[in-house]
Amino acid sequence: MAEITDIENEFIREEIEEYLERPNEIERAINTFAQVTPAMQEIAAALIDGDHHTVDHLTSEALGKGTGALEIMDDSLIAGMSIVGIKFRENFIFVPEVLACARAMKAGMAYIEPILSASGIEPVGKVVMGTVKGDLHDIGKNLCIMMLRGSGFLVHDLSVDTSEDEFIDAVEEHEADILGMSALLTTTMPNMGKTIEAFIDADLRDDVKIMVGGAPVTQEFADDMGADGYGKDAVECVELAKRLLEEDEEF
Amino acid sequence: MQKIDKEEYQKRLDKITELFSSMTVHADEQSTYRCPYKNKEDQCTAKFGCRNQRKPNNSRGILICGGDDKLDYRQAWETEAVQDRVSIDVEYGMGTVTSDDRTCKLSVGKTIFDYADELAVQVPTSCFRTGQCHECIVEIKQGMEALQPRNEAESFLQENYRLACQAVVSDADIDLDFSPLRRNPKILTDSNQTTIVDIDPIVTCQNGVVYYDGESIDKYRGHLYGLAIDLGTTTVVISLVDLENGKSITTSAFENPQRFGGSDIMHRISYDGAHHGELRKAIINAINHEIFQMEERFGFVRQEIYEIVAVGNSTMRDILFKLDVQSIGQKPYKSMIEQAYLAGECSTTSLTEKTRRLGIRANPKARVYGLPLIASHVGADTAAALVAMDMASRKETVMLIDVGTNTEVVIGHAGRMLAASCPAGPAFEGGLIKYGMPGYDGAVESVRWADGQFEYDTIGGTQPHGLCGSGLIDLLAELRRHDQMTPKGVFADKKQYELTVIPEYGITLSREDASNLAQAKAANYCGQFILIRHFGISPLDITECYLAGGFANYVNVDNAIQIGFLAPVPKDRIIKIGNAAIQGAKEVLLSRHKRESIERLVKGIDHVELETTPDFFEVFVEGCQFKPMPNQFR
Repeated sequence: MAEITDIENEFIREEIEEYLERPNEIERAINTFAQVTPAMQEIAAALIDGDHHTVDHLTSEALGKGTGALEIMDDSLIAGMSIVGIKFRENFIFVPEVLACARAMKAGMAYIEPILSASGIEPVGKVVMGTVKGDLHDIGKNLCIMMLRGSGFLVHDLSVDTSEDEFIDAVEEHEADILGMSALLTTTMPNMGKTIEAFIDADLRDDVKIMVGGAPVTQEFADDMGADGYGKDAVECVELAKRLLEEDEEF
Repeated sequence: MQKIDKEEYQKRLDKITELFSSMTVHADEQSTYRCPYKNKEDQCTAKFGCRNQRKPNNSRGILICGGDDKLDYRQAWETEAVQDRVSIDVEYGMGTVTSDDRTCKLSVGKTIFDYADELAVQVPTSCFRTGQCHECIVEIKQGMEALQPRNEAESFLQENYRLACQAVVSDADIDLDFSPLRRNPKILTDSNQTTIVDIDPIVTCQNGVVYYDGESIDKYRGHLYGLAIDLGTTTVVISLVDLENGKSITTSAFENPQRFGGSDIMHRISYDGAHHGELRKAIINAINHEIFQMEERFGFVRQEIYEIVAVGNSTMRDILFKLDVQSIGQKPYKSMIEQAYLAGECSTTSLTEKTRRLGIRANPKARVYGLPLIASHVGADTAAALVAMDMASRKETVMLIDVGTNTEVVIGHAGRMLAASCPAGPAFEGGLIKYGMPGYDGAVESVRWADGQFEYDTIGGTQPHGLCGSGLIDLLAELRRHDQMTPKGVFADKKQYELTVIPEYGITLSREDASNLAQAKAANYCGQFILIRHFGISPLDITECYLAGGFANYVNVDNAIQIGFLAPVPKDRIIKIGNAAIQGAKEVLLSRHKRESIERLVKGIDHVELETTPDFFEVFVEGCQFKPMPNQFR
């Protein structure tokens, strides 16, 4: 059984002392981090801190020195994210901090993606996501993107206030399988319909599956607009995305 | 380039999906009360506008969230879609609205509260801006004509006072200037006894190591601090104490933020049943905020706080300790801890818990100690008051009356004690009385009849808006003294329903007000009368009578006895001890021996249930009359 003093990284030791309360979780965290190399601990610490720049250059460095991709995933990215999950559950941090940590994780995974390709591992699917024109809300969309990436999708984030042309250009450029649109205002929801019409006009509608989401959006509205699917939260979004891909494959 | 196994990679993906799934579920739950764009520093990460956004003090650009996690934050979000470079015409008038040197343009249809939000002016409310709590009173310095006339909810206000939540702009071309009523509740923080002689704390320091009850918990950082907290239903008091020399470094008092769950205990218990956790969150946040303020002002770190002693009535204390309080709201009105103690499952009703488990920002290894309860609603605060008046060493019969939203009475001496609690209700704090109000600026706190009219003093010396508890007692006593009212609350002119008290401000007292006051007073009367009688003595046998609590400190004792609010103990034996609960909490913080002593003492206190006393109803009816209690009971 390892002791907390076996963990070299001071930041990680402090995080465990400050934020972990349940004995089984403390034990698991100490055992995990006591056994990983200091380099991995440093990446994990940067992820917990939401520092994507540091995760970026340390991951690149570690891979350059020959560390295995799975080791990096286990010992720093996943290990770090577990701590983030606990802090979030106990309300020490909130959604903005979680999204910052997810961004840090993405930065690390970016270096692992070429290794995946070389191993013949393709992304589950390619998705373009954005909030529609006139709408600046993005939390829901960002949580969906986090879930999609965490499930193996490659996601291009168009941020907020996205015009029809921007959606079309991105879908074409990235050869996306799925387009996801989000709207939070009843006044901007119609822009989803307009975007779908724009795809039809450009003769691109059949090349991509379109899914929609957002607080005022409903299954009925999605159907009326001609979308292929509607997801009410991030978890449903991933399931829907997987289902839409299967439909595609049937062709 | 290295290669990885597809199945091995999939395992990691599954793990990540699992982690993220539980996080998104938690995000949904959190977002039911807290805006998801608000980060842990309370800064706003939204790209859109929102009424809760405030400019930060250091103007480094990141907006702060002024939302309080209690109201639906979504309602504050802008609901207009943004247009590219085209500004939406909101139909501004030519007038401006100003408060405290901050200005913005006026438009028709907004309330003063809307402008208070926009100008980042703090206006309190505890009724979700529906016109009921009367806390958002503002003074209109200029521009009364810009507003719609007063509505029903505002009918109790005069001249240029309005309720910020009800006053609506109807003419946007007139300049408006308003300011909130300065709220300076007369909160009691000092008690008579200030020197604490007996120091024997559970937290000690030796050779640069800090010990809690013999267990080493930290290296010495420069200070050994402790906190004493009095969780009043209406007011919270926090004292920072130096455990090395017993000095109180600072004491701060603020209104209990749990008010949104109701102003009295029963309502809060119901609220906690319906929205479990909200009240606790509110008080923890307030305590942590206070700790943060103290850190800034006194230059220490929270890790130097090694123990916290908390007192409050049973419900207040148990909410802090994360317990379910529903049983306190139903017969036999006992806390879960008290029930466990009576069943022999634990040896004391006191509670000790790690500060981290309760979410309080002190040293991670620090503990929170909650004093034991006496019985039923008579809780840890009364126990603390008994420490402050050193009941443990009393040989002669003494009485303690703690007047507040609930009134607790304890009578006896070290060998035998009785306790009771009476739900006095809000009448003496302004509730249910048309012109009643809490002890804020503008409250009439004393009244005398002279030369055919009432002379009065208001808190803060400003013009009067209503009467607070001590003013009401004076008023009733003077009316009785000058035969303007019968003991049953009927005015000299039997047909008169409403009596004018201060004609220039339209402040009146009605028969209904008198009736509500009579009932509140009767509760106090019953508690004292029944306990004195049960003990087998008369008021004249009481050697010392201690009055504790904020309200009691300002009350005129003669008048209180005159109307039967206080037992007729000879005046020279009545001692006002202010906030005895916080004093007792401090003493316990500094002394193990007092802690052990009070735990022992409470076990010997008998609780008298007033309502089950056979002649309770007759005593209550008698107590409703505005006349003194008999001073001999035999």
